[in-house]
Amino acid sequence: MRNKITVTLTVAALAWLGSSHSTLADGEIVAAFTKNQVDPHFEGVRAGVEQMAKKMHATVRQYVPTKPNNITEGMSQLEDVGVTKPAVILFMPIDPKAQLPTIKRLIEGGTPIVNYNDKAGDAPYLSFVGEDDYKLAYDIAKTLFEHLGGKGNVVILEGVKGSNTGDERKRGFDAALKEYPNIKLLASQPANFQRLLGLQVMENFIQQFSDIDGVLSAADASALGAAEALKSAGRTKTAVVSINGVPEAVEAVKEGSLLAIAEFNGFKIGCVATEIGLRAIRGEKTPKRLLIPGAIITKANFAEWLVPYDKRTCPTAESYAAGQ
Amino acid sequence: MTTLQAPVSTALPAVPVPMLVRLAIIVVICVALSLISPAFATIDNALNLLRQASLLFLVASGLTLVIIGGGLDLSIGANLTLCACLSASVIKLTGQPVAGVAVALGCGTLVGLTNGLLINRLKIPAFLATFGMLWVAQGIAYWFMAGQVIYGFPAAFRFFGGGFWLGVPVPIWVMLAVGAGCLIFLTRTTIGREVYVMGANEAAASLSGIPIARRRMLLYALSGFAAGLAALIYVARLNAAEPGIGEPLLLPAIAAVLVGGTSLFGGSGSILGTLSGAVILTLIVAALNLLNVGSAWHPFVTGAVILLAMLTDAFAARRAGH
Amino acid sequence: MSDQTLPGSPVTVGGYLARVPGVAFILLAMVVAFQIGNPRFLSITNLSNVGLQASLLLMLALPMTLVILTSGLDLSVGALIGLAAVIIATLLVAGWSIFSALAAAVALGLVVGLLNGFMISYLALPAFVVTLGTMGLCEGLALALTNGEPIGGFTPALEAFYRAAVFGIPVPVLVAAAFYGLLYLVLYRTRFGIYIFAVGGNKDAVHLAGIRANLVHMAVYVVCSVSVALSAVLLLGRTNSAHPTVAVGMEFEAIAAVVLGGTSFEKGQGWLFGTVLGVLAITVLRNGLNVLSVEPSLQVVCVGVLLIAALLIDRNRKRPVARITE
Repeated sequence: MRNKITVTLTVAALAWLGSSHSTLADGEIVAAFTKNQVDPHFEGVRAGVEQMAKKMHATVRQYVPTKPNNITEGMSQLEDVGVTKPAVILFMPIDPKAQLPTIKRLIEGGTPIVNYNDKAGDAPYLSFVGEDDYKLAYDIAKTLFEHLGGKGNVVILEGVKGSNTGDERKRGFDAALKEYPNIKLLASQPANFQRLLGLQVMENFIQQFSDIDGVLSAADASALGAAEALKSAGRTKTAVVSINGVPEAVEAVKEGSLLAIAEFNGFKIGCVATEIGLRAIRGEKTPKRLLIPGAIITKANFAEWLVPYDKRTCPTAESYAAGQ
Repeated sequence: MTTLQAPVSTALPAVPVPMLVRLAIIVVICVALSLISPAFATIDNALNLLRQASLLFLVASGLTLVIIGGGLDLSIGANLTLCACLSASVIKLTGQPVAGVAVALGCGTLVGLTNGLLINRLKIPAFLATFGMLWVAQGIAYWFMAGQVIYGFPAAFRFFGGGFWLGVPVPIWVMLAVGAGCLIFLTRTTIGREVYVMGANEAAASLSGIPIARRRMLLYALSGFAAGLAALIYVARLNAAEPGIGEPLLLPAIAAVLVGGTSLFGGSGSILGTLSGAVILTLIVAALNLLNVGSAWHPFVTGAVILLAMLTDAFAARRAGH
Repeated sequence: MSDQTLPGSPVTVGGYLARVPGVAFILLAMVVAFQIGNPRFLSITNLSNVGLQASLLLMLALPMTLVILTSGLDLSVGALIGLAAVIIATLLVAGWSIFSALAAAVALGLVVGLLNGFMISYLALPAFVVTLGTMGLCEGLALALTNGEPIGGFTPALEAFYRAAVFGIPVPVLVAAAFYGLLYLVLYRTRFGIYIFAVGGNKDAVHLAGIRANLVHMAVYVVCSVSVALSAVLLLGRTNSAHPTVAVGMEFEAIAAVVLGGTSFEKGQGWLFGTVLGVLAITVLRNGLNVLSVEPSLQVVCVGVLLIAALLIDRNRKRPVARITE
């Protein structure tokens, strides 16, 4: 008897889970892929997608692996989304090499795809919407080195080794280092875009090196961890810079525990990718490639980035198109 | 002739030889590192490393109790995440650190009790009950946080993670207090002794009148409580709560317990062992960093240390005539 | 062993039904519910997706069933398949033929299996700790060999193999089915199979009966590691590149699938086909939630609820002890 009740309840619950989503359909369905539910950057992306889709009367379905950045789950979700036949897919790769064949099959099967946030190899995408990780890293490193007067000791907190984002940002840091011969790189270790790792790697750096003037972090989370470590060691003179600009990090710029951030704006990327995707499938002409310029966020201009995602207004693709 | 039966510990641990071996290993690593780098042998660095070890120890302490009692708790990492997220939001809402502390400890204990209930009443194996709970707790944390991070806590609260008392970081004091508590519980109380008996041979323990179900509830509740406590220290240390903080801690915590010499068959082990396990693992990571060995090798070395610790214990036990 | 029927005794339909684990009912319920939620759920495309997604987990869960039948556990399979993939990919890029690369993978599987098996069987060390240790060794080696970066650019033949289909059935599904058939024969039609159940039931008794119980016990781990290392071919075909840590964590899903399928950690009780049901339940759940576009955070909760619910159903039914024979 209990079994029947359990089975009936399961069917009812699952049917409810399904229906609650499928009845919402109104206009085209946008399937948006992000890499995890942990990093607020992707929450920014999802918020941007939702806002623009609502404005353009489309419905969003979010796909996120249950384990952060899990490639096999990411593969399965791509396969499964093919079954639901969305009007357009917004896609960012967990691993371009692995996912490209599935992407190509989806496009051949007639599902248009916009590649956003980071590059996903060579396929007939409607468009690429993102930022230039190399340039962001290069610019923020120069900002730090100028602040230090062109000389001093720095350390690098890298991202995830092997990820496109992590590697490009490291490359940008290295390029800037070459231009400043009096800046000495003491050490460079991966902090995997993570807060706890950022904190612990920095704690060990503090023990190893008595004199650190600057920290280059590949992402906000590890920079915030590093700033925390510096604060509790009383090394408040060390300047930390980072890339992304999630609200928490911007608040740290306001308080002074971070010097500056190169803006890698998930919200804007989400907005513009959605707009371009929907316009393209509605038959309008859209740019093949759109790079959103990133500002340097400092104490002088931080206010814009402190606004919560749901209170922000989407920029339009047009406002960026002029410079392309 | 080998046997599948759990080795019944013949006596409660006095000063077991394996503990001395572990102490010796710690001393050797420290001396070697001091020779390599003069910056290593400083009080500051010792406190720094102990503070890192304390976070690992706190997660592993409750797990040690569960494993000695013959169980396993895979949900501690996810439980920590959930406690961290809930308590962080309560502190933000009320501005009262005390409320956050209550929520974290309460949530952790509740998750632990649920584990105990699933295992006791429904006879689900501990491995699966707590594995299921891992997913449930992690899912609730994701849903609750909706991709956000909660950050910026009052200084009074952050004192637990980043503060100093008598020149020593607060997490180390917490570690010492929890360690002392567990030590007294395991060696000086009747219930603690019963836990060893229960872990060694549940049927015999039951026959001798030990209320297995109640003891098990207590152990999982303590494990959950420790996860809640660790969550508080983490949030205070990081000054932030995010839904990804607990999951990477599960395997290192299990490793710390095992390197500490606690047997997964149940019935033997000690909290001091887990303390030494946490310190050894932290020291090894520090050593690899100091030697500039890439972080890619960390899992390899951790795995090798787990195997070596187990093999030495097994041979020591055989020598001792078990 | 007195409640186990002897080899060759007839199995009635009722006996079969009573043995079906609770997860089978949940699987049925999910299929019905998902089909109501989205009529494309039972389409050919989606069924082939489910097949592809299930096949890899099945390649880990089937040999894991043998290990769990001996009251053991193998946590190293996820890390091992990643390391095997890295080694195969590296050798292929270096110009080795596919067969020599596969031979290297088999050698790797042998080494890891012998290491696990020797320590667990002859030294009587706990399987959880031993395989947690070898998991670290494999994961670390894979990371160190690749410096954490994925290896690509090997022959497209692997992907072509993975994507091929015979009579519309994807090759990986056929491979998994063939592997099931093979293990079925080994487990239910050979002496070795009977010994496996017996070692799980009472290793001492097996030893006293004059059978080399330790050898049988070790062989189970070798079978597991070698087949897992070979399965790396499917992983490489799927991801078209070798990721050092891509499958770390999959060992827990494989173990969950085995136990969902009604194999118990104790006393050599289990059912190979139950593992297929367990794998299907986990895969269908994840696939269905995606097809219905259920919110990501709820998906995480659902996996946990599935695990506990299936075990609850089993708890509330009285199933006869699993038999030695099929």
